[in-house]
Amino acid sequence: MHRSFQSKLTAYLYLSPALILITLVFVYPVFDLIRRSLSRVVDGETIWTGLVAYQNALRDPIFWTSFSNNLRLFISIPILVLLSLVFSSLIFERVHGWRIYRSLVFIPYVLAIPVVGIVFSYILQANGVFNQILRATGLDSLTREWLGSSATAIWSIMFVVIWKELGFGIVLFLARMSSISEELYDAAKLDGAGWWQQMAYVTIPQMTTVIEFYIIVNMITMLSWVFSYVLVMTKGGPGNSTWVLEYFIYQKAFPYSQMQIASAAAVLLLSFALLLMFLQARLRPKAEGLEG
Amino acid sequence: MNKKLLFVLSLLIMASMMLSACGGAAQQPAAQTEAPAATEASEVQEPASEPFTLTVWYWGEQEAPGMQDFMEAAVQTYMDENPHITVNAVLQESDSLYPAFRAAAEAKEGPDIQFFWGGVFTLEDAWLGNLAPISDYWSAEELENIPAGQRAETFWDGKQWGVPFYQIGTFWAYNKTMFAQAGLDPENPPQTWDEWLNACDSLRAAGITPIGTGFKDGWLGGWMVSYIGQQNFNSIDDLMAAVRGEKSLTEPMYAEWWARWKDLVDRKCFNDDIMSLDLYQGQALFEQEQAAMTNHVQPYIAVLERKMGKDVVGIMRTPVYGTGKYNNAIGIPVQTLAITSFSPHKEEAAEFLRFLHREDIMKLMYEKAGAVTPDSRFKPEWFNTNSDTAINKWTSEYPLFWYQYYYPPIWESEGAIALGQLLVAGELTPEEAATRWQEIADKNRRENPQQLDNYTKWVLPPEMFGE
Repeated sequence: MHRSFQSKLTAYLYLSPALILITLVFVYPVFDLIRRSLSRVVDGETIWTGLVAYQNALRDPIFWTSFSNNLRLFISIPILVLLSLVFSSLIFERVHGWRIYRSLVFIPYVLAIPVVGIVFSYILQANGVFNQILRATGLDSLTREWLGSSATAIWSIMFVVIWKELGFGIVLFLARMSSISEELYDAAKLDGAGWWQQMAYVTIPQMTTVIEFYIIVNMITMLSWVFSYVLVMTKGGPGNSTWVLEYFIYQKAFPYSQMQIASAAAVLLLSFALLLMFLQARLRPKAEGLEG
Repeated sequence: MNKKLLFVLSLLIMASMMLSACGGAAQQPAAQTEAPAATEASEVQEPASEPFTLTVWYWGEQEAPGMQDFMEAAVQTYMDENPHITVNAVLQESDSLYPAFRAAAEAKEGPDIQFFWGGVFTLEDAWLGNLAPISDYWSAEELENIPAGQRAETFWDGKQWGVPFYQIGTFWAYNKTMFAQAGLDPENPPQTWDEWLNACDSLRAAGITPIGTGFKDGWLGGWMVSYIGQQNFNSIDDLMAAVRGEKSLTEPMYAEWWARWKDLVDRKCFNDDIMSLDLYQGQALFEQEQAAMTNHVQPYIAVLERKMGKDVVGIMRTPVYGTGKYNNAIGIPVQTLAITSFSPHKEEAAEFLRFLHREDIMKLMYEKAGAVTPDSRFKPEWFNTNSDTAINKWTSEYPLFWYQYYYPPIWESEGAIALGQLLVAGELTPEEAATRWQEIADKNRRENPQQLDNYTKWVLPPEMFGE
């Protein structure tokens, strides 16, 4: 028993530097965030205000605009999964030049978001390259103020996000496909399965875990990693139509100096993210059961 | 066993060292005060003779090209005169100007002198306790060298919080050649609202884009409300009354400007791709001779005049539609520099600001950046452009008022910018814009009771505006 306790203690001591670092970098800031959301400093004194900041955040129409935009961006997730599957399958077929394609599709992913944002800001201008191509091909009726209209701005940002994030999914799926046993495909071919049936009954089931991982990563991205796109491309406009929760927190914290409301919004965002993770964890045993 | 114990002890020591190294960060002071703090500036500091560094975070190259050159030259001169002082002047970006400072202020580590856009954009940080009042270091006589109307923008609760860095008289540049091509008098730009709308029609008929500007990044919103939002006001307090909630922004005095802005949109006065372009991109259309007019600041209008020629570039005031005493008010707001409350060198910072208002240095700024220091010691004979001469003349003829520098920032970001974008895009009527602007004002008062208190203390002596 003494040895068991000693070995546990040793283990925790080895873990302690990492635990201390995580506590300082993650746990302490979260507690501080919660504290700031529940109090205000006036004349050097901290005053407990309770849930006032949460009420103000939840009563703000722009908070709900921001939240709904994050949910709109979730629509990109099935698109990313589908496109990643399709492109990775095509590359997996070892078409001529497949190594070059594999490198090319990953390039957008390694580019800095501000760079991508600025370039697409020019491409999507009213007289930008995209509209010029549409006009040149006789599709004038499809030209839009892509980033200048509240009807299209958030979807234009979503398009850019998809363009940038797709490469990661392709490479990720390609790596998993490469590790699927050939015997499964041989057996399927012997049973007369065509390309689509092999995809549906062999490839996708074998990739369930990777697909799930990719979905989680993208959910986190759409919740808390799109701020740079919005800041660079639209600054939340036109007409507040592209605000996302991160931008809401940023605006409240800095231009408006409403740190308490910003903290409350950040806590709400964190809570929603944790809820999604909880739901994902509940579903995971079912997903693992499908994968051979 | 002993080796194992030694290894474990080593880990413990490492962990303790990490804890003590990080302990300073965990013990940061609590959130900064949201009420005016007792200023640390009241403590008299002895000027240091030991070497030290003075850090200045500034902005301005974007609207006064050459400002960076000026600062480098001025800083070098200052350091030559004060060998024990190193001045570290860092040019900031527009988007990070405030976030970077607020983060520094939170940590109580950062610049000794910070640049701010003027008015409420400076005072907000005074209200947060981030600034030390300059009036604790400069005498009243020194401060009186600054025109009262521009001093008023950062005068609050009986103290002066910011020192003008340069003024940004904000007007309209117009292309005389294009005006002549459209059959307009190049020496008499539009004075009334109808004249302006008719000028847009004439220019369009001649195949010329009337006004080149951009609204994608939103900055134009604050300019437009400041150009035309005050034209039914009779005093600054008309605006303050609305901020305090005593008047409604749906009343005609406050709401008409939305309809006048819509006039400009409906008469196609703006470039067709205004919603695709950022402000500076749109303004560049004028320089590229693809638009006949643009909104710009004094230093840049002077640059345009020098670059395109005095015979080509003219300057005009915003045409008038309103009937209030401020219907022909002109905007010559100032960008400010302020001493930070956490600076360990406040006296030296005040001295550097005094240096920037020295005659030879003010002349240097004008020569390098075309920017004018608002100071009675600035000599009009230094002006070398028609636009600067005209603006100087107008300052004595018209009231000075810049709307944008007096209202809460949310009125602009969620109001003049967001609602303006929807108005220009045709997605909102002027009446809807006014109603939603009032809702934003109500929301702000509900969420910011402390800010409301600060506005009640923003009392401007009437003599500052010649009233």
